[in-house]
Amino acid sequence: MGQHYDVVVIGGGHNGLVNAAYLAKAGKKVLALERRHVLGGAAVTEEIIPGFLFSECSYVVSLLRPEIIRELDLPRHGLEILPLDGTFTPMLGGNHLWRMNDHARTQREIRRHSRVDAEAYDEFSKTMTPMCRFVKPLLSMIPPDPTTLKPADLKQLHFLMQRFRSLSSEERYTLVQLMTMSAADFLDQWFETDVLKATMSASGIIGTFLGIRSPGTAYVLLHHYMGEIDGAFRSWGFSRGGTGAISNAIADAAREAGVEIRTQAPVAKILVKSGRTCGVALQSGEEISANVVSSSVDPHLTFEKFIDSSELPSDFLEGVRRYKYRGSSGKVNLALDALPDFKCLPGAGAHLRGAISISPSIDYMERAYDDAKYGNFSRRPYIDMVIPSLTDPSVAPPGKHVMSCFVQYAPYKLATGTWDDQREAFGDTVINTIAEHAPNIKKIVTGRQILTPLDLEREFGLTQGNIFQGELSLEQLFFLRPVPGWAYYRTPIDNLYMCGSATHPGGGIMGAPGRIASQVILKDWKGSKASRSRRSKN
Amino acid sequence: MPIGQRVAIVGGGHNALITAFYLAKGGFKPLVLERREIVGGGAITEEFHPGFRASTLAHTVGPLSAAVARDLQLEKFDFEILRPDPRVFAPRPDGQSLLFQNDTARTAANIARLSEKDAAKYAQFAASLEELSGFFTQLCSITPPAIDTPTPEDLWNLFKTGRGVRSLGKRGIFDLLRWGPMAVADFASEFFETELLRAVIAARGIFGTALGPWSAGSTAVLLLRAAVDHHPAGPAAFPRGGLGSLTRALADAAKQAGAEIRTNAEVQHIRAKNGAVTGVVLTGGEEIAIEAVVSGADPKRTFFKLLDPTQLDPTFALRVRNFRAAGTVAKVNLALNGLPVFSALDSAEGSLNTLSGRIHIGPEIDYLERAFDASKYGEFSTAPYLDVTIPTILDAPMAPDGKHVLSAYVQFAPFKVAAAPAPPAAASEKPARSGAAEKSNLHAPIEKSESNWSARRKDLGDVVVKTLAAYAPNLPDLIEHMQVITPHDLETSYGFTGGHIFHGELALDQLFTMRPVLDWARYKTPIRGLYLCGSGTHPGNGLTGLSGANAAREIIRDLR
Repeated sequence: MGQHYDVVVIGGGHNGLVNAAYLAKAGKKVLALERRHVLGGAAVTEEIIPGFLFSECSYVVSLLRPEIIRELDLPRHGLEILPLDGTFTPMLGGNHLWRMNDHARTQREIRRHSRVDAEAYDEFSKTMTPMCRFVKPLLSMIPPDPTTLKPADLKQLHFLMQRFRSLSSEERYTLVQLMTMSAADFLDQWFETDVLKATMSASGIIGTFLGIRSPGTAYVLLHHYMGEIDGAFRSWGFSRGGTGAISNAIADAAREAGVEIRTQAPVAKILVKSGRTCGVALQSGEEISANVVSSSVDPHLTFEKFIDSSELPSDFLEGVRRYKYRGSSGKVNLALDALPDFKCLPGAGAHLRGAISISPSIDYMERAYDDAKYGNFSRRPYIDMVIPSLTDPSVAPPGKHVMSCFVQYAPYKLATGTWDDQREAFGDTVINTIAEHAPNIKKIVTGRQILTPLDLEREFGLTQGNIFQGELSLEQLFFLRPVPGWAYYRTPIDNLYMCGSATHPGGGIMGAPGRIASQVILKDWKGSKASRSRRSKN
Repeated sequence: MPIGQRVAIVGGGHNALITAFYLAKGGFKPLVLERREIVGGGAITEEFHPGFRASTLAHTVGPLSAAVARDLQLEKFDFEILRPDPRVFAPRPDGQSLLFQNDTARTAANIARLSEKDAAKYAQFAASLEELSGFFTQLCSITPPAIDTPTPEDLWNLFKTGRGVRSLGKRGIFDLLRWGPMAVADFASEFFETELLRAVIAARGIFGTALGPWSAGSTAVLLLRAAVDHHPAGPAAFPRGGLGSLTRALADAAKQAGAEIRTNAEVQHIRAKNGAVTGVVLTGGEEIAIEAVVSGADPKRTFFKLLDPTQLDPTFALRVRNFRAAGTVAKVNLALNGLPVFSALDSAEGSLNTLSGRIHIGPEIDYLERAFDASKYGEFSTAPYLDVTIPTILDAPMAPDGKHVLSAYVQFAPFKVAAAPAPPAAASEKPARSGAAEKSNLHAPIEKSESNWSARRKDLGDVVVKTLAAYAPNLPDLIEHMQVITPHDLETSYGFTGGHIFHGELALDQLFTMRPVLDWARYKTPIRGLYLCGSGTHPGNGLTGLSGANAAREIIRDLR
């Protein structure tokens, strides 16, 4: 048996590192273990093609909790967020929609498409702001258990009920709609411009296996909208040096707080003795003893791979098996030796500096989903592209560029063939789809990295390639995430905790799960064993 | 307001008649005003071809909520319900099939032929549906609470509901929370592996809605429907003489209680002044001054057609406008000169019994989902999901001797259909003697309105016949007459705005305290003296009568 630690954190993704940092700041002796040679998990920057730095998976940031930035003093550790200005949606008819952070200009732009919508757009922002205000505190709270009559839980449920009742009738109406409707239906009530609705509703499907017309997507829309509202400085942005720089800043803060971080240290087993964890065993055979193990990897890996099923209650295991991943997206990273030239708006204008969204119409988005439902990647996928090298030249050689393309839908389970033999075809589909809008793309691509859901699973340990460690569908949120009855970061194994995106409030570079989990761990640490076992008996 | 006061009830559908009954019992003088010469709304029996009578729209009972049935004592009005066993026959094109009997064990035995594993799970599934249905029945028969100022009764109801929830136990509560927003396809596969079985279960979650089995929230619809009948395959109950005899019996019960029912009396306008009802105007100009009006019509028709919208507060008007009510259902009634022979059934005499319930056409989840896909792009399914009945097997007098009536719900058929003819696959091979579709005898339209459906009507009929022919090859040769009721007909002839048979989408955001709209889910409306009692109000789950019963309770309290 090697060294002994207070806490071993499994996984060096942003949540794992946040969790480790907070625990170390509280004086615990913490070791963080990362399987790969680089830190960051899905928030990572790598030089896949010489001279080109790819934010391989996650590519933009907005939801990173301000309290974490503040408490871990991330700017001092090198975090720098550069604004991502606007969203540009090319259309095949030669027209386009270009929304910018500058509200007035956006309104003028929308007026080109519809006067009514231009006015509705104002109202819409006004209406969404209180919604975000309502949900934000939920992102930092431990979900209550709706099935017990424990005062603490009842108090929280009461708190939620009171918050809801404190809303105006108008706000309630909208909130209920956001929690239950489909993004398309919700936006239909506001706007008439197809391309506007399509582009806005796109953020409602990210990381889910749902179409923009599926109920529940309005919530995901809100989930992504929240970043946008808090003034320009925390609208969607890049991190200088790629998304990996965020992870590195957190890692830096963690190390400073005393966390020991080991890369290329893949975990093989979580050691359990009589219902209590006592450390981990690495694939190398090395065993590391610890009082507490905090796992930032998803429930499938934690409970079905690292732990012997005999250690777990059957109903919990059933819940873990039932938890839905269903990766639905892929990623194509391109090295370019020039900028893409869009037919509908030629030239290297500012429209290339923001997000470029291939989402020309509601039906286009819905048909993309239809393909996936029957086990094929979309013949015409929704693509969200950014060219970080325009804002942050450090990520590409002079005059050259990197373009990051998030692609949906790409179902993990294919009806025919395997992703290994479909990978190139998938990449071609993406290039061809872009080429319909920017024909020069084929000439300027000098290298490409294609990440299918299968690659996300193999390379980054995201089960079934789900970028959020599990679908953000209503039945897997809040006190149901990841397993009903176990949404409190604790597990049936004493001293084993979850701190990844599979726990409330879920995915995106938020850090909230890691932070809340650290609070739970520290609380239990102080609290008597009794309180711990009471919880784990739930 | 004095007891004995007259209350006008707009429309003679089943909910309206039930409201009339309770109002009369409560000492009021309800006056039901029905546009047509017969009452019943969507639950009627009509002769759609000489000698052939069918439940032209609704063809099975919801069933009626037990409480309502008890109060109205329909058996006193020579009303008989035929309860076929097996309830549902689900064939597959390859000749395989599945029978759902009333008895769980026997059904499990049938399932065992396809999957031992599923057979084992079936009892457990039936049990959890039954358990939940108790809670939902309770939920369906209460008035949605007022959020800001809950009345003592609200609190009592919430307490009872809360107790109902807690009685489900920790696991039950979490299942409830999980299942509600879930896609019914996921729900079904949580229990079963057999596609056919999954499809029959899932169908109940999408029936009458604009949801596919993969749409989140479709499980809530299933649970809502299971509230009144928790059999996994759903109800199969036909009134003798068709659905018309149900509403006829309801009308008799209401009359006996003291209600007045006027047919051929179309309410054209609900008069309101300074936010209060002053009377109703009938087509033909007759005016009835009255201070209480209950509308059995759907919310959109009530507030935008019958009422002068300028009477409404803009916020409320906007919410009603946003109430989603785009229909997806069409109905095809066939007059047959013989019994269709299903290739999945060998013996003729055996098949007679087998076909006496509902026949489910929709062998796979993906089949249902593809059927739904078409409707998203303004097309009707070329391989639709069909809910079929042959009422004449148990109720021979509905057709001439030896002849039969086949009645099929068709999904998905979008209210707004594209003008383009259906793809060749659908239009081709025109079945024999089905040309009579155009002169399908629908009653006088409420209003003229243009729709591509007039041009697509026959395509739809042909698609249905073609689909059925894959299971019963001799069907096309049996057809004497085909009546096609398109979603557009449902609006113009039946008065369902948007052609939605439930008066509005059964979606999470349009249920309970949100049905029809938030703040106005308690059967009252912003117009003093105007009430709603139709399916557009809670619970709105089909032919259960609960909307009508709940409404009556609130109206009586409010008028007294």
